[in-house]
Amino acid sequence: MPETLDDFALSKRIQKKGSIQKVAVIGCGSMGQEITRTVAQHGMDVVFIEVSEAKIKEVFQQIDAHLDEVINQWGLTVGEKRVILSHIKGSVDFNDIRDADLVIESINSQKPGTNINMRKEVFRKVEEIVAEDVVITSNNSTLMISEIASELKHPERTAGLHFISPSASIKIVEVIRGIETNDATFDFVLKFAKMIEKQAIVINESPGHVSSRLIVTLINEACETLMEGVASVQCIDTTMKMGYGLLFGPFEMADRIGLDNLLKWMDNLYAEYGLQKFKASPIIKRLVRAGYHGLKTGKGFYKYENGKIISQAITATEFK
Amino acid sequence: MKIIVLNCGSSSIKYQLFDMTTTEVLAKGVAEKIGLHGSFIKHERLDGTKVKIEGEILDHQAGIEYILGILKSEKYGSIKNFNEIDAVGHRVVHGAEAFKGSEYITDEVVKKMEECIDLAPLHNPPNLKGIYAMQHLLPGVPQVGAFDTAFHQTMEPHAYMYAIPYSLYRKYGLRRYGFHGSSHRYVSARAAEMLGKDLKDLKMITCHLGNGASIAAIKGGKSVDTSMGLTPVEGLIMGTRTGDLDAGVLLYIMQKENIDHLNANILVNKHSGMLGITGVSSDMREIETAAEANNERAILGLEMYHYRIRKYIGSYAAAMGGVDVIIFTGGVGENGPETREEVCKDMEFLGLEFDPEANKGKRGKEVIISKPGSRVTAMVVPTNEELVIARDTERIVLESVNK
Repeated sequence: MPETLDDFALSKRIQKKGSIQKVAVIGCGSMGQEITRTVAQHGMDVVFIEVSEAKIKEVFQQIDAHLDEVINQWGLTVGEKRVILSHIKGSVDFNDIRDADLVIESINSQKPGTNINMRKEVFRKVEEIVAEDVVITSNNSTLMISEIASELKHPERTAGLHFISPSASIKIVEVIRGIETNDATFDFVLKFAKMIEKQAIVINESPGHVSSRLIVTLINEACETLMEGVASVQCIDTTMKMGYGLLFGPFEMADRIGLDNLLKWMDNLYAEYGLQKFKASPIIKRLVRAGYHGLKTGKGFYKYENGKIISQAITATEFK
Repeated sequence: MKIIVLNCGSSSIKYQLFDMTTTEVLAKGVAEKIGLHGSFIKHERLDGTKVKIEGEILDHQAGIEYILGILKSEKYGSIKNFNEIDAVGHRVVHGAEAFKGSEYITDEVVKKMEECIDLAPLHNPPNLKGIYAMQHLLPGVPQVGAFDTAFHQTMEPHAYMYAIPYSLYRKYGLRRYGFHGSSHRYVSARAAEMLGKDLKDLKMITCHLGNGASIAAIKGGKSVDTSMGLTPVEGLIMGTRTGDLDAGVLLYIMQKENIDHLNANILVNKHSGMLGITGVSSDMREIETAAEANNERAILGLEMYHYRIRKYIGSYAAAMGGVDVIIFTGGVGENGPETREEVCKDMEFLGLEFDPEANKGKRGKEVIISKPGSRVTAMVVPTNEELVIARDTERIVLESVNK
């Protein structure tokens, strides 16, 4: 046995438990990738689970391209990029998350409708593999963590952990306490938030938390304003950006969230609250059906080339 | 008296155990990758025993606990009992205006150090972690903080003020503080000793040229000016830092590249300097190799690097009304005869007659590199910041006992 630092410990006070060395991310779509990068950038190992080897390869290509973009923006050095990539592994096998200290579910379904059952299944699968005290979280926007965790043997080790895109520059995460979430779990997630340099917004479970609930109503109202022909997409966005100092106007924000995701949020919130303000605007439904999913498909409220807006895709008159 | 000197960085702890009766280093080493994967401690004992031990180091306290464990261990240790450790000296990066010299660490001093965090958000917190950990692990053992900025606190306002609205100085303490204080102090005192002269009678320019680099004007043993400012970005061209830069250039880049202050900070600290100019490396040896192979940007980078140092030497000579001694130290200053030659040649107008033969091939040694009879003496003095901290610690602890 080679000697290790443990042989020189002065006491048994140096506890390994509670440390976070490895994080598992289940589902590595755009948000999953952002989480993966953020965690790796903070020196922790990440294993992400995807559905196929081809998808894993694609994820690595996208992460690589993104990090290059950050380097171009002077935000990272080439050496730091290598370090980040060395922390990331992809797998199709859930067994590879066995030694994770924290699990973040971040699946994304192309299918319409709520994906609560898929998430429940992921949680069950995860619980079968990881140790009894490993904290399992979900990055969903509008579903209830208590419901996702309802079929687990140990739902007390679950919590919501909601990132907002672009997570590299958004300095908050929402940390959601479910009905069963115990203090140890909640504190552990708060500690994790600190480790990735985010301010934790403490949320008592409620559909849409704070972020999704408020942004959805803003976007819906922007659609109403557009439909009434009050102003163009660009003018509405500019007003909110320049007028109120938002990072993005409501339409650009909608495109960034992904209109398909947004539609799901709206459907979920409408189902939960039954309030008109959450009911998806017809414009969003129409765009989603036409495959206008926003930035990721190159068209939504705007048209994009290389991630940059080149023109407004739709006009108010189309909806009169 | 046995003293441990600690230098806690964001993910590393450097340590040396001194026996102050002989100033011998009984043991030294470094704990690396603290809080990260693959952490380890490299340890070296006076008798030459070297070892690298791997294991998980969760935080600074755990790191220091392991270091103490190794120092006391039968196999690699240098002490039998922790009672043998009489004091701990800590390197602290920023002491702002609160600290004019090294200080005995009390609760009040810790509080003042915490107030300095704003000015060095990357450096001071790990320094403090080392202090907290030692308070916990060796309670009752005196601790002393030595500040990188303290030596330069003798600068006059006309040297340390920036020409920005005075209210900003009042509000945030924005001014030149300077760094590498222990190094400038050590080499200036050591040089006077070597020359057999009184520090009080000398005008010195000390060039600390490492990956970070700064230059200081020292008159009568007191720092009257230095090139680093509020932060270590100002002054000489460094491995990856810009050194002096028109503030307008930074604003222009931020606007044109559409980057925020965080990325701008990374740009001036990590993408610039010799690495940014040459595109080769931040390492002087690699750049010199590239220049020998006629890499144009490597040649340009070296020319800029030397020119900037010469410019500072000229201005500091003017600031002090002359210069008697020019000292080279730090990784490049100690081990880069080429750099020293490029900086010192053609300085006869200043009274410096450089001796290429004396300079040639000299690395990491105390040596005079100007001709005998040269009015200005140029010399190499390897720095020893840890020894300065250990000596300060010893002096302050003895003073407190004798009070």
